[in-house]
Amino acid sequence: MQAHADLALVARCRANEPGAFEQVYRTHAPRLFGLASRLVGRTEAEDLLQEIFLTAHRKLDQFKGESTLSTWLFRLATNLCLDHLRSRGARLTRMSETIDDDPEAGRAAAGAIGGVIDRLDLERAIAALPPGYRAAFVLHDVEGLGHQEIAEALGVSEGTSKSQLHRARLRLRAALAGSLSESRGR
Amino acid sequence: MSSCDEVQRELSRFLDGSLPARERAAVRAHLSGCAACRGMHADLLRLRGVARTLGPVEPPDHVWLEIAGRIRLQEAPVAAPAPGPARPVMPAPPPRPRAALGQWIGLAAALLLVTLGAYWFQNRTPAPGDVVAPTVVDSATAELNLALEDYERAIRELETLAVSGESTIDPALAETIQGSLGAIDQAIAESRTALVTNPESEPARASLFDALSRKITTLQTTVSLINEMRQGDQEGAARVAAQGKKS
Repeated sequence: MQAHADLALVARCRANEPGAFEQVYRTHAPRLFGLASRLVGRTEAEDLLQEIFLTAHRKLDQFKGESTLSTWLFRLATNLCLDHLRSRGARLTRMSETIDDDPEAGRAAAGAIGGVIDRLDLERAIAALPPGYRAAFVLHDVEGLGHQEIAEALGVSEGTSKSQLHRARLRLRAALAGSLSESRGR
Repeated sequence: MSSCDEVQRELSRFLDGSLPARERAAVRAHLSGCAACRGMHADLLRLRGVARTLGPVEPPDHVWLEIAGRIRLQEAPVAAPAPGPARPVMPAPPPRPRAALGQWIGLAAALLLVTLGAYWFQNRTPAPGDVVAPTVVDSATAELNLALEDYERAIRELETLAVSGESTIDPALAETIQGSLGAIDQAIAESRTALVTNPESEPARASLFDALSRKITTLQTTVSLINEMRQGDQEGAARVAAQGKKS
């Protein structure tokens, strides 16, 4: 049913029907802007969102309805965001495989969050993660992707994806415990 | 698996249900007797729960306007009206002097060149060492507005000519032209809105000038077509329409 509706909408876009591509944008832009904002930061996300939809517009004839339009756009957006991070010289994987090699993640054991997690605090803490950790956390815990999909997108093994996710969570726990104890101290 | 280090290393996999049954049972047994690891498990569980509530983010309005403008720039020029030979042509009113029409078209073309020149001169990339004073910026904005006024004046004059001679053109052809002009007007309105939101947006400026020049081209083609029809020159009309299609 959704596939049929998606194919019909894409056909309208390809026929340059007024308003058709804007409908695609209005439907999917908020989720993709959320993804891009968390992966590359709010300011760069605006440019990237333009790039995502311009690329989608150019490649619409490649959409065959094998997945939903939402999934197709999400994959395209993820790849563009990760390419953007790589172009900034970001390393999307850490060479080390043990938590012991990541003192900041290891520090998570020292403090507990112990209070309500504020979403704004969490957004800030996500933004402060190293790019590879951030990508694993956003794609898995925020967007709900599986490790196989994340590993393919990042070009790493599933084991590395799991390891990056775990370290991201530990770092976030440490950061949030810090911000909570600061706010309690005020 | 009995130490806290070992258990904490596996907590994410435990949380996500991807730990084999035997290790899972070992972690569960450890958590029942270790408050520190139980606290960490509870935190990670809450963290994952809050992460799942981080929803979509509404992008600013100008993003779509810039995308729409850039798509228009990438697309082929507006299709020029094609002659409709099979349809009856309405009786032609008395022909206007050809020279007068040519004069208007020439004026529009000259305005186009002058205003484009002014616009690009003012918006060229500064050379190293150039100092861009506020007065220069004000002057550039003023020039931009003057360029827009010139475009609009040329468009108004061409529109007057086009409207006065519209009845000369085959109705279906006139409808096609109106459709093209309507799409261009929409592009102009969207670009103007984008510029109100973000006056420095280069894509919005480029899109506005692109739409204005497309409107002038379409109106010029229309006026040429009217002229040929008034002269009773069907071949000339077909030639003008074909040239318009290429432009």
